[in-house]
Amino acid sequence: MVHHHESSEEAEKDPQEPSKRPKFSINDDVDILREILKRLDGPSLGVASCVCRLWCSLTRNDDSLWEHLCFRHVSSPPPPSVRPVVVALGGYKRLYMVCVRPVLSRLGDSDRVRKRVWTRHAVQLSLSLFCIDSYERRLSGDASASSLMFLCNPINV
Amino acid sequence: MGSYEQPSAGGGASSNGSSSSSGTRPAEMDGLLAGAGYKVKAAELHQVARRIERLENVMVNSAADISHLASDTVHYDPADIGSWVDTLLTELNQTVSLPCDLLELPDLPTCPLLDETTTLDNRWVVGQNDQSHHSLTPQQQQFQQLTVVTSMEENSGIRLVHMLMTCADSLQRGELALAGSLIEDMQGLLAHVNTSCGIGKVAGYFIDALSRRIFAAGTIGTGSSSSYCTGSPSEDEVLYHHYYEACPYLKFAHFTANQAILEAFNGHDCVHVIDFNLMHGLQWPALIQALALRPGGPPLLRLTGIGPPSPDGRDTLREIGLKLAELARSVNVRFAFRGVAASRLEDVKPWMLQVSPKEAVAVNSIMQLHRLLGSDPTREPAIQSVLTWIRSLNPKIMTVVEQEANHNQPRFLDRFTEALYYYSTMFDSLEACSLQPDKALAEIYIQKEICNVVCCEGSARLERHEPLAKWRDRLTEAGFRALHLGSNAFKQASMLLTLFSVEGYCVEENEGCLTLGWHSRPLIAASAWQAAPEYEVA
Repeated sequence: MVHHHESSEEAEKDPQEPSKRPKFSINDDVDILREILKRLDGPSLGVASCVCRLWCSLTRNDDSLWEHLCFRHVSSPPPPSVRPVVVALGGYKRLYMVCVRPVLSRLGDSDRVRKRVWTRHAVQLSLSLFCIDSYERRLSGDASASSLMFLCNPINV
Repeated sequence: MGSYEQPSAGGGASSNGSSSSSGTRPAEMDGLLAGAGYKVKAAELHQVARRIERLENVMVNSAADISHLASDTVHYDPADIGSWVDTLLTELNQTVSLPCDLLELPDLPTCPLLDETTTLDNRWVVGQNDQSHHSLTPQQQQFQQLTVVTSMEENSGIRLVHMLMTCADSLQRGELALAGSLIEDMQGLLAHVNTSCGIGKVAGYFIDALSRRIFAAGTIGTGSSSSYCTGSPSEDEVLYHHYYEACPYLKFAHFTANQAILEAFNGHDCVHVIDFNLMHGLQWPALIQALALRPGGPPLLRLTGIGPPSPDGRDTLREIGLKLAELARSVNVRFAFRGVAASRLEDVKPWMLQVSPKEAVAVNSIMQLHRLLGSDPTREPAIQSVLTWIRSLNPKIMTVVEQEANHNQPRFLDRFTEALYYYSTMFDSLEACSLQPDKALAEIYIQKEICNVVCCEGSARLERHEPLAKWRDRLTEAGFRALHLGSNAFKQASMLLTLFSVEGYCVEENEGCLTLGWHSRPLIAASAWQAAPEYEVA
């Protein structure tokens, strides 16, 4: 009881001087936060987006977080020409949610793929499906793409 | 007669839901026959009598030895005497020979049928040498009731197939009256069968197609009976799109063809793709993306899309071209589109395509070449002239995807049999992919194909599918040489199927061509061709 009173007193005394506070808040350094979030897996990133407004806006708006997620299992990193294409077709977050995640889980389920290691073929196939998705959205004026419905149930991206 | 359990009029105690065979309205059973253990609706008496007459005729006139009937007939449900007589009739009537695997109808669902069968109480087996009926102990009856549920449905399904074959046979012989009465019988039988899946559904479509053919008999080859088979271009595009979504056949076609085209375009900076049926252009985004990412950078891509003219003044071809151009621009691929509007592929002339000699040309035909096989005896078949001008363009590659079926045989009955088997398999595969809104429209797409194969003749019959072996011969004769599709295409196709996560599809390699099928029956075949050098042409 006394202890609690002390610390809240301390906080009341120095609210505007973070440098004097012994604790370090991760939210103070967005770059470090970004580096950490980059290394999370999909579900964890989803959970992270619910922590606070800063984390939520980062995960929602920073596409590079999702880029790492998309290709973390690839044996060799994709060539640099991939990025502008993915961005033009809808971004890494959409690529992950609509293509990579369901493809990974389907391939992981099947007997033929023991480990969850992406092959070149899987990457190419995902990108092709993503491109078809982007095209269908153009055709139908941004309604939910039906071509990838066979991959997963409709989700809110 | 031995003792037997008397079926009560409203259905036995053990068949709870089986109050009547037709569901809601109570069946009025003929009282006299009911006393003998046979359940025949009063309304059906004349049909049963007709069939017994036919049976008598056949038995009397049959040259075959029918004494086996007395010794080893298995009778599944004597209450339904109409169907029993039918089965006997078709067994004795040997004019129609079925391929034996038609009887193993794929994947008949084990739908609970207790509310659709007349009664399950009586299960009779005609024993060795007597014509009377033995009774079974209650335990035996109980056991057999469990096994009889699915065999009743299979029985009805098999009966439907038999009747379809008989109807087609009578159509071929010109006996329209008999065919018409068979149609009525079949429609009656359909009420007893589950038409939302399995053989019931396919049979429904075929019965519909046959009745169109019979009752519009004077108009075959002209507008009216074929007008159902071909809708307006925009309707066809919508149905095609849903067929694309609902099952993997078109996706397999597109991905396999694209892979072959991509490999053929290796090292070329100016490439030109000619698409024989543009539709919504769903094949091309993936190729544009693959070209954008190819090592060395994308080439200049020209796409010429052929399609039917739009009736309402819109230029659908141009609209699709614009969307594709937008996509290409967003991924930095230099792109040019040209649309060629033609209602028939044979109306297209090579000068319309404006092929430049410096570019690498790919010709892409997804289920289009078979439409050129209509044989007008006064002229050279259209397929010859089209293949000749394709070859004159000297394409780097021609990708051909066709249905793997033999629906262009001269005899109607052969075509009908083949189509029944083929489309049953296809509907089965569709059932396993259950994307609801797409599935219904995809079924309409397939139904139109069925209608064209069954109802139409002459120039109206466009769906003249031929198997891969025939196409190989035809294309080789026309001066083409096969290109092997390669392991990349195979791996991609297998992976695509894994994503569909439906057990039952299989990709097979067939001498350099790939086929996609359902449970070891290939349904669609993809192959790649190149113009053979002159000295190889015999």
